Amino acid sequence: MTDSVRNEGPVVRLDQVVKEYHMGTIVVPAVAGVSLTLQAARFSVIVGPSGSGKTTLLNLIGCIDGATRGTVEVCGTDIATLNDDRLSDFRARHIGFIFQNFNLIPVLSAIENVEYPLLLAGIAKRERRARAMALLDAVGLADQARRRPNEMSGGQRQRVAIARALVAEPDLVLADEPTANLDSRTGAAIIELMHAMQARARTSFVFSTHDPAVMEHADSIFAIRDGLLVESREIGGRA
Amino acid sequence: MNTLSLAFRNIFRNARRSIMTMMAVGVGALAILMFGGFVSAIVLSFQTFIVQNTGHLHVYKRGYFDFGAGNPSAYGIADYAKVMQAIADDPVLKPMVAVATPSLTLFGIAGNFAANTSKTFFGTGLVPSDRERMRRWNAYGLQGLTWRESAMHDDDRDGGVIGLGLARMLSLCATLNVANCPTPPAAETSDKPVDQDIAALAAAEAPQDNGADPRPRIDLLAATAGGAPNVVNLRVARAENQGIKELDDAYVAMHLDLAQRLVFGRGERKVTALILQLHRSGDLKAAQARLETIFRDRGLDLEVRDFSQLTPMYPQVIGMFGTIFGFIAVIMGVIVLFTIANTMSMSVMERINEIGTLRALGQRRSGVRRQFLAEGFLLGLFGATLGVVAAILAAQAMNHSGLSWTPPGNSAPVPLTILLFQSRLLVPAAWICLTVLATLSTLFPANKAARMVVVDALRHV
Repeated sequence: MTDSVRNEGPVVRLDQVVKEYHMGTIVVPAVAGVSLTLQAARFSVIVGPSGSGKTTLLNLIGCIDGATRGTVEVCGTDIATLNDDRLSDFRARHIGFIFQNFNLIPVLSAIENVEYPLLLAGIAKRERRARAMALLDAVGLADQARRRPNEMSGGQRQRVAIARALVAEPDLVLADEPTANLDSRTGAAIIELMHAMQARARTSFVFSTHDPAVMEHADSIFAIRDGLLVESREIGGRA
Repeated sequence: MNTLSLAFRNIFRNARRSIMTMMAVGVGALAILMFGGFVSAIVLSFQTFIVQNTGHLHVYKRGYFDFGAGNPSAYGIADYAKVMQAIADDPVLKPMVAVATPSLTLFGIAGNFAANTSKTFFGTGLVPSDRERMRRWNAYGLQGLTWRESAMHDDDRDGGVIGLGLARMLSLCATLNVANCPTPPAAETSDKPVDQDIAALAAAEAPQDNGADPRPRIDLLAATAGGAPNVVNLRVARAENQGIKELDDAYVAMHLDLAQRLVFGRGERKVTALILQLHRSGDLKAAQARLETIFRDRGLDLEVRDFSQLTPMYPQVIGMFGTIFGFIAVIMGVIVLFTIANTMSMSVMERINEIGTLRALGQRRSGVRRQFLAEGFLLGLFGATLGVVAAILAAQAMNHSGLSWTPPGNSAPVPLTILLFQSRLLVPAAWICLTVLATLSTLFPANKAARMVVVDALRHV
């Protein structure tokens, strides 16, 4: 993605996207025809009750799940045209993930976890290490670089996850309920951090959340219910 | 951080399980190597035993091997001295040949007429000094081989050695100081007088030494080349166990000169075979080919047989142990395969969420597969290395333990030996095969991990 795309224009475009799951003979629609556009370099939030389809929508945007029907376009690429390997490469290049359970690799230290996306991108060791350390420093964990995830608190782990999501300088960072497993104070700090990092990297952040604190920082809010987009709201002056 | 270093960390994530898995691979390697080393020792001991006693190659007059055993005069090599000279002078054979010696095989009746006993015998006429050199062949450097000083000498042309069984049947146990020799039941002792003609013939052949030679004398009766009966006297220097009862009950080793006197009388003296012992068994094919070339070029109607043709049991024993070894190796391989596959399957099941994370971050299916294959490879590598080290230590302990056993056909016990490095292939082949097998046995769980659907894997708790 060019800088112009990174900073302006849509980073994600969904057109009549349907995602259905088959449970035996029963077809369960998780996303039932959603069309939306996410502008670049914005802090977007997908909200909705449990089971509304927001995680499925996030998975579709994150190119880790395929739509049953409709078009999912990320960074100008229709992801249905990519095979599995190219899709993996696409994710490595364009998308960062922050998970509810942090999902750090337990056998790797904090800095190695942050380095991992750069390893997939084929970046040389010296540069990997420098960029990972810079990100760890930015999230306030430079002194914890050698620690393994099981030696860190939940907040620290999520900071490492944020650094990992940003280290490859992706166009899009997806966070699925990133504060759900954190206490409110730590959660608020993490949201502040992500917002700061988003502003600094000019990267597009997309959250799924119940957390009102997250919504306070949003540039765009998309409300989803029963697999349908029921509200799309731009918060003025932030973009 | 690369695939192997990550694999190394992953296999020690559950250290106890991985160590148990490596030990299972190690025990497999240990079993294969110990048995392989034992088989190697048996095969080389057996080969050494055969080469010491029969040499590597026998040169016969064409047809002797198939038809001439009972007719040494018809299938004898007449001008054998010239043939031996040709062999000795050949520049190709010279560096290969350790011993070249003539031999005459014959059959007849051995009698101890003083005790009124007789027995058919299988005899070999030989050159004692040559045979003594042959018996010291130890090209593989086997430990614990012992040589008993020969009772036969080149200048003792009437002396010889007989089997323990023959000594027993000829009532020579007491005079030859044979231990644990049973005496025959009285009813079994023949009181039938010896044929007067044979007794007279034997008496006529008896040496006139006025009792100066203390060794017991037996008479050997055989048909000469012309078909007439002939008798010679043999001074029995010693009775020796031949290992196989049938041979023990009939064996007579005598000086070549005595055997030729018995078979050919005053006629042209021949031998039934020229025996060649090589410095190295590895030269066998080359030496055989060279001999055949020499014989063809000189127009000699001779053929060459190697020791495995003369001792059909040799390839059979090798084949049998090879089959047993293969069977054990396959069993061990299957155990290793299932052990690794089970461990890696458990590892995949425990890391489903992590697999989903790696795939979401952009790891390709092939990367996930490679990661698990690397872990299987390392488990196999460490396990096989552990097994090789354990086998080397166990073999050392075994080889210095002083344990011995008596192989089939041997008359004396031999040290229980494990030869791990006698075959250059055994250790590296076991090591590599088990490592490769461990890697291959990871294919199924690795493929399973690689084929996981990312969102399903991420949802897994």
